[in-house]
Amino acid sequence: MADDIRALSAQLAQDPQSLVFLRLGEALRRKGQLEAALRVAMNGLERHPHLADAHDLYARILTDKHDYERAFDEWDMAVRIAPHHTGALKGLAFLYFKVGDIDQAEAHLAAAKRVEPDDPSLEQAFEMIRGGGRPPSRGSTPAPEPAATAASPTAAVSSGALDEARVFAGLEGADEGLLLVDGAGRVLGGALRDASGADVTDSVAAYLAGVSQEAARTAKLLGLGAWNGLSAEGQHGNVHLAHPTPEALLLVVRERGMPLGRLAILAHRATIMAQRWLERQ
Amino acid sequence: MSKALDMITRVRGVRGAMLVSAEDGLVVAEQLMEGIKGGAVAALAASLAGRLRRAMDAAGTGTSVFWHLQAEQGALLVVPGSEAAGSLLVVAVTEPDVNIGLVRLELLRVAETAV
Amino acid sequence: MSPHTRAVENWTLQPLTDFVREASARLVLVLTPSGQVLAQSGFSRAVDVMSAAALASAIVASTNELARQLRQAPFAALSHQGPKTGFFLATFVTDRGTLAVLAVYDLDVSSLGLVQLFYEQLAADLKAASPKGAVPKQVLAADFERELTDSLNTLFGR
Repeated sequence: MADDIRALSAQLAQDPQSLVFLRLGEALRRKGQLEAALRVAMNGLERHPHLADAHDLYARILTDKHDYERAFDEWDMAVRIAPHHTGALKGLAFLYFKVGDIDQAEAHLAAAKRVEPDDPSLEQAFEMIRGGGRPPSRGSTPAPEPAATAASPTAAVSSGALDEARVFAGLEGADEGLLLVDGAGRVLGGALRDASGADVTDSVAAYLAGVSQEAARTAKLLGLGAWNGLSAEGQHGNVHLAHPTPEALLLVVRERGMPLGRLAILAHRATIMAQRWLERQ
Repeated sequence: MSKALDMITRVRGVRGAMLVSAEDGLVVAEQLMEGIKGGAVAALAASLAGRLRRAMDAAGTGTSVFWHLQAEQGALLVVPGSEAAGSLLVVAVTEPDVNIGLVRLELLRVAETAV
Repeated sequence: MSPHTRAVENWTLQPLTDFVREASARLVLVLTPSGQVLAQSGFSRAVDVMSAAALASAIVASTNELARQLRQAPFAALSHQGPKTGFFLATFVTDRGTLAVLAVYDLDVSSLGLVQLFYEQLAADLKAASPKGAVPKQVLAADFERELTDSLNTLFGR
């Protein structure tokens, strides 16, 4: 654990913009070094104020410090940024349970279950809430601790290891510039690097869920029907966002020289491959 | 301003064109067909522009110069103006089968000349 | 810990919950022009609700008086924006009487345009949900403190 922390600290020092602070903060929190974890989380939040995972990490540390009021605000913010963030939903459920608001606790667990129906920790939390039915007093029956139930950043990263290379095998630029994420912004496959070569996979994935939700809302409220793609030309590159299934998002990033029309064709082919891959999972 | 928006709305399939404040999501100028709610277009286009900007910043592709939301029954096309122009968005709402390339050119022209 | 969204009068709860979600508002009060709170979202302390309600009520009263002196209809809405946060205050008429909505939003997750857009829906939903034929209750001075305490207890789930 100490070696992990040293290695993660070194990585963060090398690239302060990276999302490695999520893993470092979590490692410090698990080791009980709450002040250090707090500093890491706060520094990370300053650099990534719109990242739901950063608010989730901060809230978990605050919960360990028994600062439930601020923890609530942080999880609340995480859910505002990413309404399907199961870690934050479970965290809020835990805090509601702690103050005896069983209805709200169940409602938040139910919302998390809609996102992750197969998460066994949710069933345990439901059982505990329904079985106990009363808020825990200090030192009595443990509540469903968010640290145990929340989707940790490390888990999110490890889910990215699912046969990444094979998702888009055979497609032009399959090893880079293609990213498949789930509705909660977690990586399912692919990888992204910026112009300097830094891995930006996780940070882009985290923002995509918000873009997709806003695209869906915009198309719906403007009477345009369901959205089926979002293309954008940037100063240094072009992107195309599609959704191979209602729960998954696919981002294709290419250099500025690739016209949006060609990018859309490439994205269409990648979408078909992603659909096949998702069906096989 | 209205003349500038004319350049966009005269393209076949364009149902409305607007200038929108990117920060506030409010209408600055509009030329819309019946049934299009300018306030809703402005608020939602600005909100989506903000979220897309953050994602593109994270991806290292830089500020967007044009984006296009495709949907079953229409599309939203947006060219963000320069910072110097007070962060305005030039927005078009279109039918699904519009000539995207042509609308894009007109949006860029309006962003350069009128904004 | 802050309760999410709570209502003294239950018919306000669903419209307010929808508004908070769609507009990404941080704090919201639904109140009468006299400062009686019907519902709140995002507040963590009773004292904050009391202060915000009193200030919002005072703003409504002073802008109404300004409009009267200018011989025009009352202002529909008022908005202020700082570098990170904005607030929006507006009034509308329902069968329950005139109501005011105070919304505070963070500029990095919302905007005045979004708040205005979904405020229109909130006002329409509240108008539709308000009890028909209800006569606005007069709060007597003698009952005021008890009414206030009861409301705050409901708003904070005590």
